[in-house]
Amino acid sequence: MSETNGKGSATPMLDELEKGEWPSFVTQIKEMAAEKEQCQQLLELLERSYREKIGHWKHGGIVGVHGYGGGVIGRYNDLPEEFPAIAHFHTLRVNMPSGWFYTSDVLRKICDIWDEHGSGLTNMHGSTGDIILLGTTTDELEPTFKALTENDFDLGGSGSDVRTPSACVGPARCEWACYDTLDLCNDLTQTFQDELHRPAFPYKFKFKCSGCPNDCVASIARSDMSIIGTWRDDIRIDQDAVREYAENGVNIERDICGNCPTKCMEWDGHDLEIDNGNCVKCMHCINAMPKALRPGVDTGATILLGAKAPIVQGAQLSSVIVPFMKLEPPYDEIKDLAERIWDFWSENGKNRERVGEIMQRVGMGNFLEAIGVDPIPEMIAYPRENPYVFYEEYYEEEDEEAEQEEEEGAAVP
Amino acid sequence: MDTQRRTDIGPPDFRRFLPPIIKENYGKWKYHEILKPGVMVHVAESGDKLFTVRAGSPRLLGTKRIRKYAELADKYCGGHLRFTSRHNVEFLLTDEKNIDPIIADLAELGHPVGGIGPAISSIVHTQGWVHCHSAATDASGVVKAVMDDLHEYFDGTTKIPGKLRIALACCLNMCGAVHCSDISILGVHRRPPRVQQGLAKVCEIPNVIAACPTAAIRPASVEGTPSVEIDESLCMFCANCFSVCPALPMADALNDGVSLWVGGKVSNARHEPMFSKLAVPFIENDPPRWTEVVQNVRKIVEVWVDGARPHERMGEFIERIGWPKFFKLTGIEFQKEHIDDYRYAGLTFHRSAWVRH
Amino acid sequence: MAVTAEQVADAMYDLVKEYQGKKKLKAMDLTHMMVERYGAEGCDKKMCKAAIRSLIDSDRCVYTYFGGSYIELPHAEGAAGGG
Ligand code: HEM
Ligand code: HEM
Ligand code: HEM
Ligand code: HEM
Ligand code: SF4
Ligand code: SF4
Ligand code: SF4
Ligand code: SF4
Repeated sequence: MSETNGKGSATPMLDELEKGEWPSFVTQIKEMAAEKEQCQQLLELLERSYREKIGHWKHGGIVGVHGYGGGVIGRYNDLPEEFPAIAHFHTLRVNMPSGWFYTSDVLRKICDIWDEHGSGLTNMHGSTGDIILLGTTTDELEPTFKALTENDFDLGGSGSDVRTPSACVGPARCEWACYDTLDLCNDLTQTFQDELHRPAFPYKFKFKCSGCPNDCVASIARSDMSIIGTWRDDIRIDQDAVREYAENGVNIERDICGNCPTKCMEWDGHDLEIDNGNCVKCMHCINAMPKALRPGVDTGATILLGAKAPIVQGAQLSSVIVPFMKLEPPYDEIKDLAERIWDFWSENGKNRERVGEIMQRVGMGNFLEAIGVDPIPEMIAYPRENPYVFYEEYYEEEDEEAEQEEEEGAAVP
Repeated sequence: MDTQRRTDIGPPDFRRFLPPIIKENYGKWKYHEILKPGVMVHVAESGDKLFTVRAGSPRLLGTKRIRKYAELADKYCGGHLRFTSRHNVEFLLTDEKNIDPIIADLAELGHPVGGIGPAISSIVHTQGWVHCHSAATDASGVVKAVMDDLHEYFDGTTKIPGKLRIALACCLNMCGAVHCSDISILGVHRRPPRVQQGLAKVCEIPNVIAACPTAAIRPASVEGTPSVEIDESLCMFCANCFSVCPALPMADALNDGVSLWVGGKVSNARHEPMFSKLAVPFIENDPPRWTEVVQNVRKIVEVWVDGARPHERMGEFIERIGWPKFFKLTGIEFQKEHIDDYRYAGLTFHRSAWVRH
Repeated sequence: MAVTAEQVADAMYDLVKEYQGKKKLKAMDLTHMMVERYGAEGCDKKMCKAAIRSLIDSDRCVYTYFGGSYIELPHAEGAAGGG
């Protein structure tokens, strides 16, 4: 082990980050460094980055497990002579169970596998949701994969494929879940295993499932298909419980009604009245008084499309494609919609073009036609402001005559 | 091969890992209450109660620490636990009496309990210098420094008006989910890639050219061999080209650093989701404590805590008081970089005569 | 002109070989080129998918990732350097 020969710590800057209230990642690496030379060298390489203010990693694009095009992120450091134990330091993305639920036994199993085959360092979890096993050599990839699959785990997506879908905690522990986010997430993941492991799209495609418009997995901001629970009937009200909140000091007029985006609530000091036809299901009033208000019972989801980060053509939020869809197994309607979108996108997409980008490039109207969805006003914030309408065809004088004749012809048998 | 190689099995079914109380009350929860910082109870139609204790984590965890979590789950929760979308760990208890002991055990391990309700939750973040090739700053270190400073808002010591979500991504690729956060910390490069000799041996030139979103890369011949040149006036430092071609390094100690963005939100409550907007264009990297970043984040948080109405998120607050007031209150200098100059920039200009004086 | 998945795989392999070092091909590029060559009736997307899978499973080609996923001949990793 490369120790310090009495010259003090080899990592003074990182040591500083062991102080303070918040749990320290440096402590985590050090805990493992006691047993793993890789972790010791990682610490020293990171210290060097702190000193020089630059990173020391190179991207590897080839390593992986046999047959899959995703799930492994290749990493090499640019100082392999000095840091040989982490010359290769690849990441595996392991598909987490829906909702990130574990038992202590299965967590220990994952730890056993990773202690045997890798650095022992992880992210619980990566920002897409996968279990991230951080750092191993090329030789260990296949054995790690074998051990994982023997324990019923598989790799997640990376590259131009379906990325690991994720879901909020949903009906497992949230009274607001308007559909079974965990089951849908699991079902989509299993149905699209081939699309997840064998990249065949122009670029990545993400599904994220949130049970209500609070959108706890941030699906509207970071998934190509955002599936956000909602309801069509009335908010369920327990008027006694509302009065209880009022008695306990909640200013219902100001903080509940006053914050309603459509001003569709009225409080007369005794009853709370909601004009449900104008409620946009924003969740504010329900969040503020969870014991008094609940979503309705005719539940489903709004499907939105096209969120993406700034790369390549600028960032977007998802926008509405289906205002309301019932979501019950076997979920054929949503799978069918996804496949129609993939067909069009794979056929016409440019390299590294996300769904949100092709929608813009070909025009939302044309995109809708291609995937067989009718345009409806729920899809827009407001109609176009600019008058540059690109009609695809126009009629000549003769066309009209011909048409008239045809019509007349049809009228006279 | 000894046994059939298993592939395409997907993740294990989550139902295997649900605690019995959740299996019995699945989809039948009635309401929940926040009992104290980091602790909530969900009450089912059946009357069953499930207590959740949420603890902060550094996200980067060694297996030793994960085994400690497993031990706690065995001791208090029948072996059940889960993680949240913001890297927190949640212990699921059925016996109210276990709440204080598990909080004490977590404190001993160094994990604060909090982040539920009107509070700052853990910072969603990316890999940084620990593991990524295009990082303009570190991720874990900045997060640690900021959370050390803000922990009073996580563990409920200081009450705040509503939720505050912070996220960090160490480059414009933003694999961490930052663009829609109340406060976003984003690593930025400011120097165009340098073209290394022998580029054509490592990279395919048409792919390199196609990688650039702003068409800043053109074919060129350098000393008789094919290579590329960069039109520096068109480069916005996304590092896309470096991802495609390692012979175009971007990292640069003098020019890399951090920017801060504010006022984004994801949830639909009250106001529609919003993107984060630029607050501080550039702060130098200053490891290990990134003092200026920490100070700026704190200033922004304090202005919001002082001025926001109950439930009001950062973006709603700023919309109400106006951007000029935001810059005045925070003391952040307004510069030309704050004004968008990419496509459709005009949409972000102030197109009315509404001015507060 | 009826072709088999085998023939499609061979034709794809030749293309990947021809383009290696000049242009990286994606799964969809190969599919487009095959449909163009053999016609949509003779060679559909399903067949192309099967052909790609057999190329990968037999180690004749590998998936690579450089900002997007490609199909290439197996080769040494540039970034691995000497290490
Ligand atoms: C040129 C574009 C991009 C490149 C080259 C790129 C590269 C990478 C790399 C190398 C990693 C692995 C980091 C590591 O573990 O060492 C990564 C992780 C990730 N990327 Fe990207 N990325 C790109 C764009 C994006 C975009 C646009 C998003 C989403 C908006 C994204 C989302 C993610 C996520 C969620 C992770 C996991 C990060 C984590 O676990 O913290 N990436 N990306
Ligand atoms: C303030 C700096 C910003 C940071 C640090 C940031 C960070 C991120 C990150 C980390 C993600 C990936 C989430 C994931 O897939 O797991 C993301 C996605 C996204 N960002 Fe940002 N972002 C920033 C600014 C913006 C801006 C200004 C916009 C739009 C104007 C934007 C729009 C988006 C969108 C639409 C996504 C969708 C994610 C996807 O492609 O999957 N972001 N952002
Ligand atoms: C981009 C294409 C457009 C061009 C080139 C254009 C051009 C013009 C011109 C030359 C005038 C006459 C100004 C004058 O009185 O001397 C005008 C007036 C006006 N335009 Fe436009 N315009 C465009 C788009 C629009 C759009 C999209 C709207 C509304 C949605 C609009 C609304 C108006 C109105 C309200 C007036 C004033 C009419 C009045 O005098 O009462 N324009 N525009
Ligand atoms: C007090 C009631 C609430 C409870 C019990 C609750 C619970 C949770 C839980 C458990 C998560 C983690 C989700 C997961 O990992 O599956 C979460 C995340 C989140 N919650 Fe809530 N939530 C509540 C209220 C709200 C409200 C009122 C909002 C919005 C105004 C909100 C917005 C979010 C967001 C945006 C996230 C995602 C965080 C992220 O990863 O970016 N939640 N919440
Ligand atoms: S998105 Fe809605 S249903 Fe899902 S956990 Fe959050 S609040 Fe509950
Ligand atoms: S859910 Fe939102 S829109 Fe609907 S009544 Fe409540 S506050 Fe108003
Ligand atoms: S945000 Fe950028 S630098 Fe950070 S991990 Fe993601 S791709 Fe790498
Ligand atoms: S950093 Fe981005 S904008 Fe600059 S040359 Fe490279 S790809 Fe183009």
